[in-house]
Amino acid sequence: MSQPTFEAVNLTKRYEDGVLALDHVSFEVHPGQIYAMLGANGAGKTTTINIFLNFLEPTEGEARINGVCTHTDPLAAKAQIAYVSENVMLYPAFTAMQNLEYFTRLGGRDHHTKDEYHRVLERVGLQREAHDKRLRGFSKGMRQKCGLAIAILKDAPAIVLDEPTSGLDPQAGYEFTQLLTALRDEGKAILMSTHDIFRAREIASTVGILNRGRLVMQRSAAELGGADLEQLYLEHIAGHAA
Amino acid sequence: MFTTVVMKELKGILLSQKFALTFGVVSVLILMSIVAGISEFTAGARQYDTAVQLAEQQLREASNWMAISARALRPPDPLVVFVSGVHNDIGRLSSINGHEAVKLLNSVYADDPIFAVFRSLDLMFIVQVVLSLFAILFTYDAITGERESGTLQLSLANPLPRRTFILAKATGIWAGLLLSLSVPMILGLLVVSLAGVPLSDSDWMRIGALFVGSLLYFTVWVAGGIAVSTWTRTPSASFMACLVLWIATVLILPRVGVLAAEQLVGVPTVAEVDAQKDGFEKAAWEKQMAGLSERWKKREEAMQGFSKEQREAYRDAHMWQWMQEEDAGRKAVQTEIDAYGLRLQEDLRNKRSAQERLAFTLARTSPAAIYQLASMQIARTSVTLKNATETSMEEYRSQFTAHVEKKQQESGGTGGFKITVDSEKGFSFSSPRERGTLDISDLPRYQWNPTPVGQLLADAGWDGLLLAVFALASLALAVIGFHRYDVR
Amino acid sequence: MLRLLIIKEIRDIVGSTKFAVTFGVCSLLVLLVFIVGARAYHTAVGQHDAAKRENLRRMEGITDWMQVHDMNVYMPPQPLSALVAGVAHDIGRTVTVEGRGELTAHDSRYSDEPMLAVFRQFDLEFLFTVVLSLFAILFAFDAVSGEKERGTLRLTFASPVPRRTFIAGKLLGAYLTLVVSLLLPIAAGSALLIVMGVPMTGDDWVRLTLIIAAGFLYLGVFLSLSVLVSAMTTRSTTSFLVLLVVWIVAVLIVPRAAVLFAGRAVDVPSVDAVAAQKAKFSAGLWGDDRSAMAAFKPSKSGDMQAVMQEFQQMMQKLADDRDRKMREFASRVNEERRNRQDVQEAVAFGLARITPAACFTLAATRLAGTSFEMKQHFLAATERYQKAFGEFMVAKTGMNPGGRMVVLRVVVGDEKKPEPINTAEIPAFSYAPMQVADVAGGTALDILLLLAVNLFFIVGAVAAFLRYDVR
Ligand SMILES: Nc1ncnc2c1ncn2[C@@H]1O[C@H](COP(=O)(O)OP(=O)(O)OP(=O)(O)O)[C@@H](O)[C@H]1O
Ligand SMILES: [Mg+2]
Repeated sequence: MSQPTFEAVNLTKRYEDGVLALDHVSFEVHPGQIYAMLGANGAGKTTTINIFLNFLEPTEGEARINGVCTHTDPLAAKAQIAYVSENVMLYPAFTAMQNLEYFTRLGGRDHHTKDEYHRVLERVGLQREAHDKRLRGFSKGMRQKCGLAIAILKDAPAIVLDEPTSGLDPQAGYEFTQLLTALRDEGKAILMSTHDIFRAREIASTVGILNRGRLVMQRSAAELGGADLEQLYLEHIAGHAA
Repeated sequence: MFTTVVMKELKGILLSQKFALTFGVVSVLILMSIVAGISEFTAGARQYDTAVQLAEQQLREASNWMAISARALRPPDPLVVFVSGVHNDIGRLSSINGHEAVKLLNSVYADDPIFAVFRSLDLMFIVQVVLSLFAILFTYDAITGERESGTLQLSLANPLPRRTFILAKATGIWAGLLLSLSVPMILGLLVVSLAGVPLSDSDWMRIGALFVGSLLYFTVWVAGGIAVSTWTRTPSASFMACLVLWIATVLILPRVGVLAAEQLVGVPTVAEVDAQKDGFEKAAWEKQMAGLSERWKKREEAMQGFSKEQREAYRDAHMWQWMQEEDAGRKAVQTEIDAYGLRLQEDLRNKRSAQERLAFTLARTSPAAIYQLASMQIARTSVTLKNATETSMEEYRSQFTAHVEKKQQESGGTGGFKITVDSEKGFSFSSPRERGTLDISDLPRYQWNPTPVGQLLADAGWDGLLLAVFALASLALAVIGFHRYDVR
Repeated sequence: MLRLLIIKEIRDIVGSTKFAVTFGVCSLLVLLVFIVGARAYHTAVGQHDAAKRENLRRMEGITDWMQVHDMNVYMPPQPLSALVAGVAHDIGRTVTVEGRGELTAHDSRYSDEPMLAVFRQFDLEFLFTVVLSLFAILFAFDAVSGEKERGTLRLTFASPVPRRTFIAGKLLGAYLTLVVSLLLPIAAGSALLIVMGVPMTGDDWVRLTLIIAAGFLYLGVFLSLSVLVSAMTTRSTTSFLVLLVVWIVAVLIVPRAAVLFAGRAVDVPSVDAVAAQKAKFSAGLWGDDRSAMAAFKPSKSGDMQAVMQEFQQMMQKLADDRDRKMREFASRVNEERRNRQDVQEAVAFGLARITPAACFTLAATRLAGTSFEMKQHFLAATERYQKAFGEFMVAKTGMNPGGRMVVLRVVVGDEKKPEPINTAEIPAFSYAPMQVADVAGGTALDILLLLAVNLFFIVGAVAAFLRYDVR
């Protein structure tokens, strides 16, 4: 089997105040796969993503992107990862185009033309009129779209998303997942956290359920088969909560 | 309802990290300024005492009435502890004698420019500049901050009239800040009374007025900050607006008034006036001198054809009269010169007062200037100090010279020395006998008589009223602004 | 990468309303300062010329140089002191120069016109120390904490951006924006100086440039400090509050407190005490000379001219002696006071230099020739003039009685109408501020200090940001 793009090996994170947010979590995401992390509020999803982005250092274990350890060589790791946050925040004084251009070039891609920026913004569903407007007045959905455009333009093999569809209207959510599957089909490895069980079921290659920092269930789409994911989720959360 | 909001605001302020920090800083600053003021005052008072002693000693050592010269000294007012004003800019003393006009010399800053580099640090400055900034800091986001955090919508979803809400908010913030400010202020007063600054009852009254003024000024800023907050949308916008307003009010407007007055009302400089006076003096003496030659020539002519003995006899007979005539002539000239000098001085003062009136009227568009002018007025360190001192010293000078003149006549004889080179008698040098020390026991001494408290407070009262008007206008603006505020 | 970050930073700052407001206000103020300065200069020149004219006019019609006792000299206005007032308005501008005797300056601008002292002049130094420094803080107080609040910091660091590069970009971007946006109105203001006919010499331009350079260094301190503080706090309101307190303490409090402290800690004999000492000594000298004069016996009587000559010679000798003794005494007393003052100044400014505000004020006023040393410098110039004036009087009248003495020549008998004196012959007074080369030593210290503080805060900002929690 090929080298995994995302690789968590015994990831453990204990915060300074003693909270054990992650407890020996291990998983892999390969190119062309979508890994959906489910879990209650405070389960440790954002913590995991923060470690992949080197915003946090693991207490134990390692997170790797294409074999590069995120905390020993963060810059090399980050060159291969694109990120869309739960609530994409961009510079309010800049236009969508300016934000796009800036962050893409920050990611080390500075060969894009204006046309390409426009094309990608249209691809994520941002109307042409909005391209040269300042971010100040953008709605949440519009900002999420810009965030995804930035991730696409970075053209990284790994994409990590933290609850990207929360707060989007049904149609926007649908379009968003369509884009994700398209990216997956281009061979990207995608790691996302979400509370949307149905959408996860629909597009995920693998689903992992985190509970109080532990990976309590992990099944591939094939393994899940026709099982009711919601039922499984509730069982696992309730089972361990007891 | 009203009290609920007031209490919430009070709690919000008193428990904030912002408050802890600023309260600490402000307390330290207020106490520091008062301690610095006390040390400045005591140093000034000490300097004044030694200077008075030295002046007295010089008087005692004077050896003839012709050359006697006194020194009038201006004592520091105890309220310089709180308001330095122009106390250090204006001369501390003037020589008092028959041949020089009153001129205030030796200002602290001119003597020791080192103290002028950064100027003094008094309570008035702290209140005017620092407390106003802090008032803004606690009020700029009163409305915009709540709008941004969403609590404004939540609050106004209740059956709460907008006016009640905004007034309660203003009251809460105002009371919270003021209560906490009074702590270091009272502590400062305690320090002042313990430090042995000699304060009379009327001084305490003035201090009271000073604190009322500070309070009013602070209120203007609290109300102003809230008003700005009701006319802007985001906290950062309100903050920028407040800051610009602050810079304009505290730093720019007062100076613009002075600049404009300077351009509009021309006033000759002291150097110019002095030179003018000198010129007149010189011309007057010149005329007198020219006359002297003429008169002597005439007196010589009267002796035309006399024998040597007749001449001597005639001279001896008339000499006394001639000297009297000359003396009277000289006195007349001196009186003329004095009158001219006073006229010039008066003229200069009138022009300058007109200029000052215009400047300060214009500057009073700024509450910071109103507060400063009123404080200086109360502390007797305003610009009128110069005129008041000069006038009282001029009065003293006329008493002094009258007394000296009387003494001169009693003792007879002149000062200085006289050299006569005569083609008949040859060279002679005469100088009056040194009479040792003079009896100066009944020589009048300079008494500093300050403007009465009643008048000071009456003048400052108008400024206080003006500040109150500013505060109320700001509050009205806040209420109006909040009425039409889009709470979304 | 760095370029990209800098450009972004500039764009971010320039695009904000905050910048539009501050830039507008700053430009207005800078222009105002230059206009006010130019006007103040012209007013001062007008006053100076009028005083000089009156001074010469009072001597018109005098026919005997013997009757010229003194000469008033006035400090000529300098273009730069209109821009950086320093103590120029606090010290006396007029000195009455007699052929002999100690000189004192009187008629300071503020004591003449206390109205101006109430709010003091709005000059370039004040603008930089107080107003622009506040704006520098406004520029950068949320450099890091603001981005964290906005959430852009997370996105940025999801990219392979070295932290060092990022913070360097922030610092450089902020510096560049500040300098360029201020240089525009300053250049316009300088042009206004020329337009308004202020005669700036090449030397003046060099000084002004140095003052502005020092000003930028000073603003740089607040800029880098703001970035540092913003990299140590997580909320921009906290950063601002901390910075505001630091600003108040550094700009408004420490310099004043330092001088006040030095004033009380180091005892300097009061001017009055020194003056009394001198007066007493002088009176003693006069007493001695008076008896010497009374004892004068002409060696041969008869020839009036010769007697007068001889007497004058004696007077001259006495006066010279008296003058010498007085000078010796005065210089000893003054020296003692001066030494104490030096200690006081060393303590005051040594302490004050803790804050960059004092460093800048000292450097700027030194460069403009309006530092606390101005009084000494001006008096030294008048002393040089006194010598020239004394020599001139000797050449004209054969003696230099020095002030107070009034010589009346009553000529009994016919004499031809004397010619009035030509006042233009009196030597002219000239004053120039300290040479740039002379002040360079003193300013270099302040400028180096400013540079060092800049570097310190820059390094601090980088170090703080390396440990910053970007989440
Ligand atoms: N900075 C921190 N210090 C201490 N504890 C923290 C910190 N950040 C998060 N935690 C704790 O770590 C645990 C995991 O938090 P995390 O943010 O990863 O949850 P999450 O799964 O993303 O939740 P949500 O669905 O609400 O976003 C929680 O118990 C949280 O309280
Ligand atoms: Mg989360």
